[in-house]
Amino acid sequence: MTQALDPPEDAAAPASAAARPPGPDSLVAARRALWHAVRDRDESRAARSVFDLLDAGADAEDVLLGVIARVQFTVGEEWAAGRLSVAAEHAATAIHDRIIAAMSHREAEARPADATPAAAVTVACVDGEWHSLPARILAEVLRLRGHRVDFLGAQVPTPHLVAHLHHTAPAAVALSSSIPTRLPAAHAAITAVQAVGIPVLAGGAAFGPDGRYARLLGADAWAPDARGAADALARGVPRPAAGAVRQTIDDLPHLADQEFTMVSRSRGQLVKNTMAALEDRLPAMRAYTEAQRERTAEDVAHIVEFLAAALYTDDSGLLTRFLDWTGDILEARGVPARVLGPALEILQDELKDFPRALRFLAEGHAALDGRGTRPTIPGTGSEA
Amino acid sequence: MTTFEGASRQPRGLVRHVGASWMQAPYPALVADSSGGVVEANAAATHLFPGAVSGAWLDHVVPGWLADAHRRAGEEGQPPRPVRGRHEDLTLEAHPTVGTDGDIVWWLVDDTDRLLAETALRSERERTAFLADASSRLLASLNVPRCMEVAVQLAASHLADAALLVMPAAGRRHPIAASVGGAPAEHSSARIDPSAVTGLSEALQGFPPVPSRWIDPATLPDWAVPEGFDGPAGSVVVTPLPGHGIPAGALILLRRGDHAAFDASEEVFARVFAARAGAALSAARMYAEQAGITATLMVELLPPKLHPVRGVEYAGGYRASRDTERIGGDFYDVHPGAGSDQETLAVLGDVCGKGLDAAVLTGKIRTTLQALLPLAEDHEKLLRLLNGTLLTGRHTRYATLVLASVRREGRVTRLRLTSAGHPRPLIVRRSGEVEEADTAGTLIGALPDVHARTAEVLLQPGEACLLYTDGITEAKGGPLGDVRFGTRRLREAVADCAGMPAEAVVERVQMLAAEWVGGRPHDDMAVLAISVPHSTHLTAVDGRTPGRYTT
Amino acid sequence: MTTVPDDTAPDETFGLEVTTGEERDVRVQVRGDLDHETAEELLEAARAHLRSDRPPRHLHLDCARLTLCDSMGLAALLLIHRHALAAGTRLHLDNRPGMLEHLLELTGTLDHFAQAEKGGDDRPAHEDPPPHSAAGSPPPAHPG
Repeated sequence: MTQALDPPEDAAAPASAAARPPGPDSLVAARRALWHAVRDRDESRAARSVFDLLDAGADAEDVLLGVIARVQFTVGEEWAAGRLSVAAEHAATAIHDRIIAAMSHREAEARPADATPAAAVTVACVDGEWHSLPARILAEVLRLRGHRVDFLGAQVPTPHLVAHLHHTAPAAVALSSSIPTRLPAAHAAITAVQAVGIPVLAGGAAFGPDGRYARLLGADAWAPDARGAADALARGVPRPAAGAVRQTIDDLPHLADQEFTMVSRSRGQLVKNTMAALEDRLPAMRAYTEAQRERTAEDVAHIVEFLAAALYTDDSGLLTRFLDWTGDILEARGVPARVLGPALEILQDELKDFPRALRFLAEGHAALDGRGTRPTIPGTGSEA
Repeated sequence: MTTFEGASRQPRGLVRHVGASWMQAPYPALVADSSGGVVEANAAATHLFPGAVSGAWLDHVVPGWLADAHRRAGEEGQPPRPVRGRHEDLTLEAHPTVGTDGDIVWWLVDDTDRLLAETALRSERERTAFLADASSRLLASLNVPRCMEVAVQLAASHLADAALLVMPAAGRRHPIAASVGGAPAEHSSARIDPSAVTGLSEALQGFPPVPSRWIDPATLPDWAVPEGFDGPAGSVVVTPLPGHGIPAGALILLRRGDHAAFDASEEVFARVFAARAGAALSAARMYAEQAGITATLMVELLPPKLHPVRGVEYAGGYRASRDTERIGGDFYDVHPGAGSDQETLAVLGDVCGKGLDAAVLTGKIRTTLQALLPLAEDHEKLLRLLNGTLLTGRHTRYATLVLASVRREGRVTRLRLTSAGHPRPLIVRRSGEVEEADTAGTLIGALPDVHARTAEVLLQPGEACLLYTDGITEAKGGPLGDVRFGTRRLREAVADCAGMPAEAVVERVQMLAAEWVGGRPHDDMAVLAISVPHSTHLTAVDGRTPGRYTT
Repeated sequence: MTTVPDDTAPDETFGLEVTTGEERDVRVQVRGDLDHETAEELLEAARAHLRSDRPPRHLHLDCARLTLCDSMGLAALLLIHRHALAAGTRLHLDNRPGMLEHLLELTGTLDHFAQAEKGGDDRPAHEDPPPHSAAGSPPPAHPG
């Protein structure tokens, strides 16, 4: 979380944005205007901040990546810091979505009809992945660069994706996922697409900051952002050998120990057992309201899901980073990160026969213990 | 060591030991002494090496490799090993047998046929491996153009210098894919005369291929020689791609003049490959046809794209119970009234069952409802008529649904909501309160008579109404895995949705429900949100107006 | 290995227990989920009695151990109701759990089933068999 947006203080920017010639300054101003508008759920003002910039001649790709994507990033940050509700985040995302749809319409009309289209690309989110905005932005960037793009949206079941590929045979599939717990689903999608003989370009936070999970799961390419993905596609991603069907275990031999299978199949029971043991251990929990209890159960369920994903990728860091991030989120809401400790200890009891799971949980616990009480999200405490 | 019976002569050393019948042995055999001189050679050996008579030097009468082997056999302390080499157009294997006095008998075995057989076997294995690999590549994609590409690329890299795949004409044009040396295939669609290539029109009609030697490469038309094929074609094979009863196309293989012409076994092999390619191509074509038919039939059954109508936003979301299906028992529609002051009728419903059977029934209900639109002023009457159409003596597959007649009147938007046995719509107030519309009624299509009570609701700008099917509230999952999502969670989920665009409300509900069920099985889930924007919206989103946004 | 119960294991398995009481009363205990996979089984069991030469006077579906009733389950109940009506049998949905009560209420079918229990409905059905058949001779065959 490095590229924080300019402090959103000046609300007077939108009017001046159109007057100035488009440049870095006007992007900054539009960003500020857009941020204020989506925060207020004011779609009209949000749209004006973007379209005024385009009317002034700004490059559409710059607007997509330098304004909308940046503001969306801020939305996520503000949520993490506890300053924006989930519903507000949804509202902001929906406004961005509609502005992009309107932009797409406008750019399609501006495009010369006789332009030879670049290679066809299918853009899809992994099954269970609801954050479709990054994929949508990529789809628009690719369209702007002349690709024929089929955007299949959020949460694409892999059989739908494969049926679509048989129908259209694109040059590549760009697969987006933001949550690491979707990696097993991403893996299934990657191998299924490659079996049809079509290469997969993976992108999104789920694949790790350096794309390590994209490599692990055998993706043909990985890109850190929409521009990188467009560049990679421009260079061309070689086709995998068609018909070379890989089984999960071929890529991930460590799955033979069945720990991933057991943990993911019994996740509900694990959460139940953990909740019961937590109540034994922490008398305060008995006074929880049902809603509080459910939040706690959700937190435990998330830990189990991330543990499963860590077991899948055989990377304890996946769980540790999640715990550290959850610690940030909790502390931003005035809850100390160490509340996660007892749950981890109980899970260690529950999973005492699973050596990899035990090791991952122990590493996660140690990382939590090693945290100071510092809030790691800027601005937390003063405004939260 | 074999001991020959009936030794009549007593030659020296080894010869004595092995007996004299070797002289009549069918294998060529010769004896040489330690100094490299021929001691004796049998008739077969002299036939092979005419100079090999007693007293001649090996070096002068046998190939160098054999003379060398003999020299080495004398030098090394170890027993000599068999050697192999060429003599004229034969491949010989020479097996030494050492005698006590240093003489060596060289038994010569003609190995030529075995080598040929081994080469043939190896190429047969290679061909089998190639076919296995080709099959899996060909069958990987059910896309016809992609399948053509794979076929010509494989053919041009393994069977010939260039390959063309000519499909039966679609209209007047033949789709053609071509590859040179296995390079990425080029597609074209050309008006060609197949009879210009000997055997092509026959192949496209499914007749057996004509022998390659009948085809004169010099007569090939330009289109049959792909771009990038350098030099004139030396030999050509045209072979049909057998399909499902009708030919899937024809394969043309070209070799350059400076390469060997296709021999008979290669022609046979090309046919075997063409059979696989034809099977794959036919499967792809059949899939494309079926998928096309299904898509056409499904258009009517798929949930429609919704657009804002007269100042009110509508958005719908649907997820079928089985991931491989896009349709099921839930449905929704929005029918704008004919005149600008007329109500819009939105409907969301759920029929018993899942999958295609259920979808067909939804299709019937949607069509009937459309026909009954003029009667939408009286919801109960409309439901009675719908019930009458759907009632059959055969079964009791019923539907439940909600009708919403919507009209924006300046700032307020008036809704008439009627549930026919369906979960009551939720109203999201700006205050964050969530109300259930006070409507109730009988399900449709199972009972002889139905009743319904309509609720009137006013929405202010920023407020919304949510119709949903019980697939959402009945969804089992959550952190514990077996808890129903329930109405309480749904109400909480929409409580802070005031002021959101309708799509955002739908997406939020869908997302929460999907996260709740996780990967578990679930019923069909449908949501329809009706929201009143403050005053503005992006009209471009409705996909019909070219404008950017209106104020 | 730790034996953690599997989430994907099915709930209580569906089952029917049919007992025939005196005076041609049939009681069917329904256990487990009544849904698109199991509804047909209940339907067949009920039909077997309703289509016999001597249909029961009362058909009791004991729902005490019913864990779920989905739309196909309700469709089956409605069809059984229809057959019962034709056969002159009174259908009773006994010991209804809350979720079934809620479903019947929501779909506007509660009254419909209640009337069936009373033996009256919106369509004429013959009441008790005529006196002569009650003495033991077979009743007239019913259509359907």
